[in-house]
Amino acid sequence: MSEHTAASLAAGIAAVQQADSAQGLLRATQELAASGDPAAAPTLVEVLGFNNPGAAVAAVEGLINLGPNAVTALLQLDPENYGARAWAVRALAGIGDVRGLELLLDALGSDVAASVRRAAAKGLGQLVLGALPEATQHQVRQRCLAALLAASSDGEWVVRYAVAVGLESMAAGLPPHLPEWQQARAGLVTLLAAAADNAPVVQRRAHLALLRLEQQ
Amino acid sequence: MSAAAASPQAGEPISEQEALRRLRQSTDPSQQYYGAWWLGRMRSQHPDAVPLLRAALRNRRPRDLGAGVEENAVARNAARALGKLAPAAQAAIPDLLDTLEDGDPGLREAAARALGELGAAEAIPALCARLASGPAVAGAQLPDNPRLAEPCEALLEALGDIGIATAQVLAVVEPFIQHERPLIRSAAARTLLQLSGDDRWGQLLVELLDHPQLQVRRAALMDLGAAGWRPAFGAIAATLAENSLKLMALRGLVERGSGAPEDDALLACMDALL
Repeated sequence: MSEHTAASLAAGIAAVQQADSAQGLLRATQELAASGDPAAAPTLVEVLGFNNPGAAVAAVEGLINLGPNAVTALLQLDPENYGARAWAVRALAGIGDVRGLELLLDALGSDVAASVRRAAAKGLGQLVLGALPEATQHQVRQRCLAALLAASSDGEWVVRYAVAVGLESMAAGLPPHLPEWQQARAGLVTLLAAAADNAPVVQRRAHLALLRLEQQ
Repeated sequence: MSAAAASPQAGEPISEQEALRRLRQSTDPSQQYYGAWWLGRMRSQHPDAVPLLRAALRNRRPRDLGAGVEENAVARNAARALGKLAPAAQAAIPDLLDTLEDGDPGLREAAARALGELGAAEAIPALCARLASGPAVAGAQLPDNPRLAEPCEALLEALGDIGIATAQVLAVVEPFIQHERPLIRSAAARTLLQLSGDDRWGQLLVELLDHPQLQVRRAALMDLGAAGWRPAFGAIAATLAENSLKLMALRGLVERGSGAPEDDALLACMDALL
């Protein structure tokens, strides 16, 4: 890192830490997020706990853009800080790094907020597993699948919708002869069912997913 | 078994039988209040639910601030529950029409919403009569509190939910497009959009998505979703508000709307907001 960029990063971090208004924090966070510097990750994670939704959205975007470089900082988050954890789940879901697996599984299975469960469901469908040994890939996929299938009876339509999205993106990367592909397809068929308590939008999303998988 | 063990404690889940029992007794209004809420929330199909809720509506008291508000609180919850029990609650329409004439604006509001949810065409004359004096009278703020003389938002939305577009209904609703409160303008635009399908009302709601107050942007999102106006989908996705609300609005476009854009584009837009 050149001296110049190190100095501007330090200034960006200081601007976030010293912001004295909601607007100021938002601007400083946007600038720090735009730096694309992995060293900004811990400060962006700090912003998730500031109870400023606008700044948190900007921080999540910045963290997702940093990709795997942001994961260590995200996983060091205080699990007691509920608000920050909800944002971290969104960031980890967007990054798709397998180190976020445990947090995503836990969030989908037990978080009280539907917005967190829906982000986790989408994220579990798009973990990037290509670099792992075949056996580990299989193991991880089985755990993701089990969690997604369990959440296909979630009481909130938006979580079931996200499960349909997660199941489709998981199956889309697999050859149809694999049992995981078949299981994901069976989960989508469940979500397609016209039940009194199943929202039509969930059925239409499951229908679209099945159409695309058949054309694969 | 002791009495304490027989009766669930505060905060514990209760059964349908228990909810009915609480509404049926008359010594403790707070128990009736909870029982009425429960029956609506759980969409009870029990044959006693609608008759008990109707009885609770008839037990409302003349508005008397400081005393006797408890019965009105029960009646308010009963009206809300009857709206949620549509269409099984058709028999309650006469009671709701009576309640629409009550002196308590909170009760009139709950009754109007329930009549809208029931799609009660016979309520149109009464709803229009309440609004007929226009934004300057029905829509005037009361001298002693922030409420309007009539619960305009609920009355307007009920007319849209009932969905019968006569010249009389349109003439009563349209002046509220000029109301000083953006939430009332939003409700009027939603109703006119539902009734006429005219794009200019959809455009007006899209303009409200840019309003400086978050509360107004949220209302415009919900109103576009209720009307299912698909051309708004891009503006909805770009609104400064919670993704949860944008997703609800887009769900409305998918389920209630038709035409362009097609489902695929709307669903892709929703996927990106998860």
